[in-house]
Amino acid sequence: MIFSGIEILFFTLGVITTLAIGTTYYFNKKLTFTAGTWATLGLGIFLLIFCIAWSCSSVLEGEPRAASMGLVVFGIPGLILLLLGRKLAIKKPISKQV
Amino acid sequence: MAKKEIKLNENDPAVSRRDFLKIGSAGAVLGAVGLSSITKDAAANRLDKHLVDELVTIHDEFPVEVRADYVPPRNWDHVQYRSFFADAVKAIGEEVDDEIVADGQAFAQKMNFAYDDSKIGYTKTDKALLAGAWAMNNFSAGPSPAGVPDFGVNTWEQKTKKNPHALFDNDYVAKEKATFKSKQEAANQIKRAAKLYGADLVGITRRDKRWDYSKFLNPIPPLARKAFAGPPSPEQLEELHNWGPDKFVTDWSDFPFVPKTVIVMAFEMDYEGISTSPSLVGSAAAGAGYSKMAKTPYQLAVYLKNLGYQAVSAGNDMGLSVPYAIAAGLGEGSRLGQVVSYKYGPRVRLAKVYTDFDFVEYDTPKSFGVMDFCKKCMRCADACPTKAISYDKEPSFDPTHENKDNAWYNIKGVKKYHVDARKCFKLWGELGDDCGMCMASCPYNKPNFWHHRLVDSITAAMPGPVHSFMRQMDEVFGYGNVEDHESIKKFYSPKGKSYDGH
Ligand code: SF4
Ligand code: SF4
Repeated sequence: MIFSGIEILFFTLGVITTLAIGTTYYFNKKLTFTAGTWATLGLGIFLLIFCIAWSCSSVLEGEPRAASMGLVVFGIPGLILLLLGRKLAIKKPISKQV
Repeated sequence: MAKKEIKLNENDPAVSRRDFLKIGSAGAVLGAVGLSSITKDAAANRLDKHLVDELVTIHDEFPVEVRADYVPPRNWDHVQYRSFFADAVKAIGEEVDDEIVADGQAFAQKMNFAYDDSKIGYTKTDKALLAGAWAMNNFSAGPSPAGVPDFGVNTWEQKTKKNPHALFDNDYVAKEKATFKSKQEAANQIKRAAKLYGADLVGITRRDKRWDYSKFLNPIPPLARKAFAGPPSPEQLEELHNWGPDKFVTDWSDFPFVPKTVIVMAFEMDYEGISTSPSLVGSAAAGAGYSKMAKTPYQLAVYLKNLGYQAVSAGNDMGLSVPYAIAAGLGEGSRLGQVVSYKYGPRVRLAKVYTDFDFVEYDTPKSFGVMDFCKKCMRCADACPTKAISYDKEPSFDPTHENKDNAWYNIKGVKKYHVDARKCFKLWGELGDDCGMCMASCPYNKPNFWHHRLVDSITAAMPGPVHSFMRQMDEVFGYGNVEDHESIKKFYSPKGKSYDGH
């Protein structure tokens, strides 16, 4: 192969990170996040990106078990935090209206 | 400023707030670095410096306690020496344990000649892999792995002129000495050369007589120590004629110069190869390491000779590589007895060059939490089928194992974990390879991927109580398996390896 997996991985991670930051910024403009929402979403995004980085690296080094454990240990908490962050983000304007 | 030396063998440090803050502050630096517009290299250097300052302890002195009654060993105290050169040891009037000789013979016989096409990891193709791996060592450094010095490329000879029988010969000490502007420049150039010749890690330390063999037993006649050095002179033939046990033992008074500096090199062994332990493939990974140990130090010795300084290259002969590597800052001691390096863990082989050049910046010992981690980990002790590795919580000055009263190649008087070499060597004889399961199972044995270095840094920052958890996680994540047939398939699989010219 001409491009090594790790080069492609870090390029893709760069793209994902940029998209994640852009999307968060966009929704912040619409919904105006609280500090709690920022922290939850931020940690969730970080964990999900870290999960991709970890699991892809483990596949590249030929350790599939480490890759799947990475999905469990970093991916699931990341996803939960993202969903929680979404809930917090949507809830805020409604509570303001009440 | 790097952290100053801590008192050694202190009790397990309690959970301190500072420990937990270390990684956090590193993250803060990363953030700050990201925000500023400094270049990528500067950012990496700043982060690296910060992490090193926080996680690595720099020692001014040798970081392991040595008791006053410690006696440096002789080269024939080496387990393999006693086994493979039993006749020479007996010839100088010392006793040799028959059981050890039998273990060594079984090991050599199986490893060199036996294969079994029905046994995965021990087939004819695995055997061929092993033979090729060892070839450079066998040709040029011969018995150095068993502790025999002054053979082949590791010659003690310091010629001052070119060999008239060789068209190309640069292996002689140049008349004019090269000079360097500063000690740092000298160290940089020597290290650069070592890397160019194939060293993966290199450090420079002062010669320390404690770690040198005090005496050498060399039963090989001088004339037979070199592949080709021109037709024998009448003196050499006379010497060969009179060769006998009365000439077997030499010491440092026979060495051609007074060494002042020892350059220590580490060579990475193939991760996938070592992962197959125990097998002939695993032994081939070690053998390939031995071949690098024969090549690179010799090249560095010739380089030093061309700078006008005397130099002798060495593998396992001449002295104890583990303390020298610790002193040169290559890594830390460990439960399994090998040096654990930061980048490759215990998966390294070590070699040395002794030289009289001393205008050089010396390295200092560095530790990054390995011995602390070993207290809780014990994974190598679990992996060792013969239970040769100690389960002691703390390191000790004396061996504590079953054969402690009859233990050789165990350096009494140095505070460390003592491995029962007798039990270990017995398994080598049974398997016909050099096992290596302890090394393969160690959580520090990882391929050089970014996420492992991150985990190592976090481990270094974490206090003792977290280490047991880290060890468990390593197992859960599927690392460090031994006796795994899949690993042999993985080793040979072309997937992920580039063979087609790219
Ligand atoms: S090489 Fe094998 S027998 Fe020897 S200490 Fe390691 S695991 Fe035990
Ligand atoms: S396996 Fe664990 S106890 Fe053994 S050397 Fe490695 S870190 Fe230390």
